[in-house]
Amino acid sequence: MSMFTRNEKASDTNTDETVRPPRETPAAPPAPAAARPAQPVAQPLSRPSQAPGVSVISKSLKITGQLESTEDIRIDGEVEGDVRGVSVTVGNGAKVKGTVYGNAVELAGTIEGKIEAEKVVLTSTAHMSGDVLHRDIRIESGAFIDGHCRPGYGKSEAKPVYSAPKPVATSMGLAAKPSDAALKT
Amino acid sequence: MTTPPLRTFRTTPRDRTDAEFPASVLGTAFTAEGFLDTDGDLHIHGRVIGRVCADRLVLGSGGYLEGDVIARDVHIGGRLTGRIFALNVTLESSADVTGRIFHHEVTVEKGARVDARMPWRPPSYFETLVQLPEPRQ
Repeated sequence: MSMFTRNEKASDTNTDETVRPPRETPAAPPAPAAARPAQPVAQPLSRPSQAPGVSVISKSLKITGQLESTEDIRIDGEVEGDVRGVSVTVGNGAKVKGTVYGNAVELAGTIEGKIEAEKVVLTSTAHMSGDVLHRDIRIESGAFIDGHCRPGYGKSEAKPVYSAPKPVATSMGLAAKPSDAALKT
Repeated sequence: MTTPPLRTFRTTPRDRTDAEFPASVLGTAFTAEGFLDTDGDLHIHGRVIGRVCADRLVLGSGGYLEGDVIARDVHIGGRLTGRIFALNVTLESSADVTGRIFHHEVTVEKGARVDARMPWRPPSYFETLVQLPEPRQ
């Protein structure tokens, strides 16, 4: 019987405290406040009203994999993989290894791969290694291009800019280590 | 594609300047599959499948994340399936979490839906985390 009195005990008082692994600090409010950043926890950070459609990949973010958006994407960081958006801006200092698809692509950074877009703008700091498939292109003085520029966008070989999001596999295994097949589709 | 190495985060809040580490924001229409690594803040309002390393991760209430999260601070307002490795974890009332939450301090707001084990770990565990444990079934 004595083995099974756990529930009764727990309901009494804070016997849980004695069972818990020892902590350096008691669970009193002052201690966590010191460990946390100044920003209060109660502040709702994830309000839907804050939720933007435009995505910003800032300079410290590196993404290995595929990106897709039905709205604008601004990249200031590093992307290894394909990018699909409506209007894609690759900022100065940003780097993309892969194909960038979009209606409008503005490049001020580096792309190693391909651009497939209706409107392409290469600014003076652009560094483009690879082919550009476009319908309308503007190249500023100072831009670097190593590749073909072809005005064939929208013809047979060009893929649609954006197709409805595919259903994505939802297994935990994939989440832990996305397989190559999943990333390439 | 090779798995990038795990980016360990600082367990003490750094003197952050927003100009130095601007936040990345992934909008509602955004979908990503793969590995996301940053030293700064990351706000996810869209859909991400893969591993996320950040200093602070905020998953918006419409956001969906499937995979492992390694961060100093994690705020979840959306749906998460996977594991969290973070010193401070806050689950807001709109959160829906399935998996495991490795934490040092955790806050769960009333209304949050949590189907997860929450193992407590000392800060040293997160400092020395160089490889994630194999997920248990």
